[in-house]
Amino acid sequence: MWKHFCSLFKKDCQMMISGKFFLLALGSLLLYTLFINFGYVKFMKAELYHVYLYDPQGTQRQVSGMVFPVTSLEELDKSLATDTTGVGIDASSGTPNIILYYGSEKVDRHRADYARSLLHPDNGYTAKIVGTNTPELKQRKEISCELLFIEIVAVGFLGIASVLFKEKQMGVIRVHAVLPLKRSLFILSKIAVFLLSDLLFAALMTICNVGFTDAIPILPAILVQTAILSLIMALAGFGCTMLLNDFKQFSLVYLVIAIFAATPVFLAANTSIKMKWIGWHPFYQIYMGLKNAYFGTPVTAPIYYIGSACGIAALFLMIQAAFHKETGKEE
Amino acid sequence: MIEVKNLTFSYGKDKQVLHGLNFTVGDGEIFGFLGPNGSGKSTTQKILTGILKGHGGKVSLFGQDIATAHTQDFFQKIGVLFEFPYLYANLSAIDNLKYFSSFYPSGQLRDIEEVLEELEFQPDFLRKPVSSCSKGMRQRVSMARVLVSNPKLLFLDEPTSGLDPSGAVLFRRIIEKERRKGTTVFLTTHNMLDADLLCDRVAFISSGNIAVLDTPKKLKEKNGSQRVTISYLNQGKREEKTIETPELEAGIPFPHDEIISIHSEEPTLEDMFIQYTGRGLS
Repeated sequence: MWKHFCSLFKKDCQMMISGKFFLLALGSLLLYTLFINFGYVKFMKAELYHVYLYDPQGTQRQVSGMVFPVTSLEELDKSLATDTTGVGIDASSGTPNIILYYGSEKVDRHRADYARSLLHPDNGYTAKIVGTNTPELKQRKEISCELLFIEIVAVGFLGIASVLFKEKQMGVIRVHAVLPLKRSLFILSKIAVFLLSDLLFAALMTICNVGFTDAIPILPAILVQTAILSLIMALAGFGCTMLLNDFKQFSLVYLVIAIFAATPVFLAANTSIKMKWIGWHPFYQIYMGLKNAYFGTPVTAPIYYIGSACGIAALFLMIQAAFHKETGKEE
Repeated sequence: MIEVKNLTFSYGKDKQVLHGLNFTVGDGEIFGFLGPNGSGKSTTQKILTGILKGHGGKVSLFGQDIATAHTQDFFQKIGVLFEFPYLYANLSAIDNLKYFSSFYPSGQLRDIEEVLEELEFQPDFLRKPVSSCSKGMRQRVSMARVLVSNPKLLFLDEPTSGLDPSGAVLFRRIIEKERRKGTTVFLTTHNMLDADLLCDRVAFISSGNIAVLDTPKKLKEKNGSQRVTISYLNQGKREEKTIETPELEAGIPFPHDEIISIHSEEPTLEDMFIQYTGRGLS
């Protein structure tokens, strides 16, 4: 059986090499790494709001060194006109009044509170510090997690479908039905190739973008979550290929998955949009599992792993039935 | 080798395609299964090869009930040639054969290059992707895939399809050679010439029923007329006459200057097929 599996595995690797799948994955890795290191991290590095203080009578005594004093209201207006995210404090009456360009209610409140806190830097700063992630590391982890999720959900899913549609068109799947071979091995070898490819991708993606020393402790948990997602997507891709006639039909299904499966997950996880039902979305659970793994707090609830294992087993059984049906189809 | 009793099969509830087939195939026999498209011959072959399950009736292969026969050991003993050359287009002929043969015990395998040589595969294409080969060459690789594992029972579906006349002659010669080795051949075809030249017995299947089963020779004899048509010249004029064969015993029974041709009125296998099934083979 092991010899048979090795033959299948070798052939699947050849198919993926000839289909340029590994090249595509490597290209994606390079592109994501360049984007994170030379784009995302830089433009997400938002500077703190500058705070300008007009206090001709010197009423504010404990002002932080981070506050820029101005000598007139005209100068304050001029500063805010050029630095639109800055916050002005007019303390000419003895009471500090906040002046700023309108952004949004939440941000403006935050900016105002921040500016006020700089007038009394030693008071009320009692927040407990948890975690060791610097803002940049947090950004790196967040974006690495998102891109890894996209890569597996979209690119990996498409990859297995393109390889299998080729085999389906060539008719070789039918030949496997009359070989002295366990049919489940045909499915397992394909899944194994994609799983290993995704695990390698996840490891490289994390090491290249989070950094070697920060990546090593979180890598095992990331690989576990990647394996769960990769198995589900590869099995789903396999199933779609068996049930659908051609790549055109698959493209439609792919769109549906992209729009209805992945989009709500990203919206719920990364924006302020609230969806009460999102907790029931399996991809959301896996995405959060992956994100938690990146931040060193992996999911420990047994129900999550039992649910994932049951889902994978159910998909595998459905695919076996679809594979059997495909081999018996009329030419 | 193969024993089929009252074989029935339905696709879904209402679409019964086989209505109680009965036949046997002996060891070392070439058995022709002839029928038009949709007659049930592919379904029968799929049941025999274990691709389709859920049939009715009793089927045994190698003396074993089919329900328990489709083990790895069973698949090691059979070879199935499909109508179309199903191969990995991006792999070479050699790589395809190495891959497919890797599932059989090494002691059972024939030398790949030797088999390809026997099939007159062009050596220049041995290591080129199969996609660059002609249909005839691909069919040769497919046949090599089947032969390389030395099967005891061969299922051949339209083996000469896509071959030029010399290729078809070569394939028939190879099938004959397999029979001489003791291999049993279950041949599914539309091609009456293949069936006539190769088969020990043929079964005509139509709408899921076997209309008749006999040797090609007996079928033709049973239904043939005892007449000959003679073309001749008489006083410079070409004429044609059909007479009963016994009339020839005393020589040509009419005046003539020159005999141009004499044709027996023996029916073809296709005529027999139409006679028994009421349908053509296309």
